[in-house]
Amino acid sequence: MGRAVGIDLGTSTSCVAIVKDGKPMALPAPDGRFIQASVVSFLEDGSRVVGNAAKAMMVENAEHTIYSAKRLIGRKFFQAEVKKAQAVCTYEIVEGPNQSVRVKARGREYSCPEISAMVLMEMKRIAEAQLGEEVDKAVITVPANFNDGQRQATKDAGTIAGLNVLRIINEPTAAALSYGFGKGLKQKIAVYDFGGGTFDISILEIGEDVYEVISTAGDMYLGGDDFDDRLIDYMAEQFMRKHNLDVRQDRKALQRLKNAAEQAKVELTEKLEVTVSLPGIMEEMGGKLDLNITINRNYFGQMIMDLIQKTFKVCDEALQNAHMTVENIDALILVGGPTKMPVIREAVKSYFFKDPHFGIDPEEVVAMGAGIQASTLVEARPGALLLDVTPMSLGIATAGGLMDTLIERNTPIPTESARIFTTTHDNQAAVKIRIFQGENRKYEQNELLGEFRLAEIPPAPAGTPKIEVTFEIDANGIVNVTARDRDTGQAQSVQLNVSGGLSQEEIQRLKSEHHKGEEVSKFKPGLELPQQ
Amino acid sequence: MDEHFKLQVNSLVKVMDDLDYYQILKLDQMAFDDDIKRAYFEESRLYHPDKYFNEPLEFQTMVTQVFKRVCEAYKVLCDKERRALYTRQISGPDRKKFLRFDLKVLEQERAKKEDEGQTPMGKKYYQLAKAAIQNKDFKGAKINLQLAVKMEPRNSTFAEKLKEVEDVLAMRRKL
Repeated sequence: MGRAVGIDLGTSTSCVAIVKDGKPMALPAPDGRFIQASVVSFLEDGSRVVGNAAKAMMVENAEHTIYSAKRLIGRKFFQAEVKKAQAVCTYEIVEGPNQSVRVKARGREYSCPEISAMVLMEMKRIAEAQLGEEVDKAVITVPANFNDGQRQATKDAGTIAGLNVLRIINEPTAAALSYGFGKGLKQKIAVYDFGGGTFDISILEIGEDVYEVISTAGDMYLGGDDFDDRLIDYMAEQFMRKHNLDVRQDRKALQRLKNAAEQAKVELTEKLEVTVSLPGIMEEMGGKLDLNITINRNYFGQMIMDLIQKTFKVCDEALQNAHMTVENIDALILVGGPTKMPVIREAVKSYFFKDPHFGIDPEEVVAMGAGIQASTLVEARPGALLLDVTPMSLGIATAGGLMDTLIERNTPIPTESARIFTTTHDNQAAVKIRIFQGENRKYEQNELLGEFRLAEIPPAPAGTPKIEVTFEIDANGIVNVTARDRDTGQAQSVQLNVSGGLSQEEIQRLKSEHHKGEEVSKFKPGLELPQQ
Repeated sequence: MDEHFKLQVNSLVKVMDDLDYYQILKLDQMAFDDDIKRAYFEESRLYHPDKYFNEPLEFQTMVTQVFKRVCEAYKVLCDKERRALYTRQISGPDRKKFLRFDLKVLEQERAKKEDEGQTPMGKKYYQLAKAAIQNKDFKGAKINLQLAVKMEPRNSTFAEKLKEVEDVLAMRRKL
């Protein structure tokens, strides 16, 4: 039997952690770094590179390098977020079967769980190299506001990567766990999670070994990547003023600018001023043009202040839902690379009237929490019990166009709710029910999770069959539907059609396929990073 | 694991549907808010399924059933409005029907409340307006409804009724 690890599968970076001698710790890759880019690059010879090495290829191999797959996972092709990604991503995004999203590289289409599986496999390998034993189980984290489809797709990614996914837990909950583990605290805490792609805030109460999520709120469209975009636009406009050429129109130049912007952002955490110089970024009538721009920290802070202020609106909402004010918060935990920026730290400090907790690296804190949960589960002597909630209301479509809410948001999970269904005409053999997640009263405005059919209903006059359908949200935040005949107690067949998802057969097929793929790339000389 | 605990969970699953939320959380109906949270944490320490992750699936399913009910009880009792409604319901003659809280009942209850007004003065003016409508005194009804809306600007029933009366008055002027 192999080891269990915790994996923070992030939009831009991922991290793997374990508990050793009662202490959580992140594991370094052979390149010595604890954080790996969530990037997969497909090379011309058919092999692939994952992690920081793949990120380094984003310029030269832009069209075949997949990044930010987490923004697409579990989504449907027609959704706004997908269209947005299509406009800005250097790789191709196409529509797959069942309204799903596929990405294209080297002429092959991949589902998002496959791409995430490749990142997970890399994390698995990093852990195996460090531990010297097999890793076959994992707790994987997701943003608190991930819906059913996104959670399911993440779990599928784990399965494809050859991992037994012990649990999907929320990132802020994991962060709280690594803050409070083994300390016997009695506190109310806020977890301010500013990731690459999303912003989340959670309010938790810690009662020694119990971690209760009181409320959670988030903005799916706000992240550190938006800071990069601001910098890119600023630099592109400066360049345009001088040369009358738009760097953003040239894919390769844009990618270079993107990398530079990200680097500048990171450097501005330490330095007061950085100079970006990209020699020969554009060509004009045979001559090469250089980009040289100096940005100081204060000016950058101003550039992004409105984005930071947006996070506090979300914090207000979370506190309000928890019936609290900032004064009730005993401790503040920061999560995500961007929270290392002084401008964010200052803003957060003045909002919460409190210095954030400085004990754990914001980029490792989530993985460590996942590691704690993983060891807690396999060792069956939990040092921590999570009481989490569902981030969105779950309901079914009704004839009037309204959603009939069965489970409200912020309900503790696991939870279940039952409803009785019947037929509307004589000898009707099947009933179709559509499930939605969201807060709008009209179901059309919410997200369709799937559709299920109660089939093989015994012939009877209209209105007589009484089929009790139970909607369950499990500890992973994943929805399950079961049904039984209320009179006979017999299980009723339920055919669930999850929109945009992979079928069990596909997952199994991909699992065996990718494991062959992994073997191939393992022995490709020159692709592996040097061992320590 | 403790055989005694196994049996306890087993019997709890069987009788669970006959218990109210106070009994699930082992609380008195007069319990303070703090007691409710404390009870939720205590019961979680007993029945949280993560504690039994390596036990046979059958037992895990059973203990999860209990834990779900603990969560459900907490969700209702920690909310003042829900707790009041629930306590009233289970103290009445239809106790058995109300042991598990139904969101629909809450919505109906809210709608009913809003219908007839939530402030004493709002209620009074609305009743006067209804009486006036009965007597075909639409001008009087309009004045009373305007006062009712002033008392409860967010009450959609009042606002709709006022619009109805205004329409009638407009029609009459035309005729």
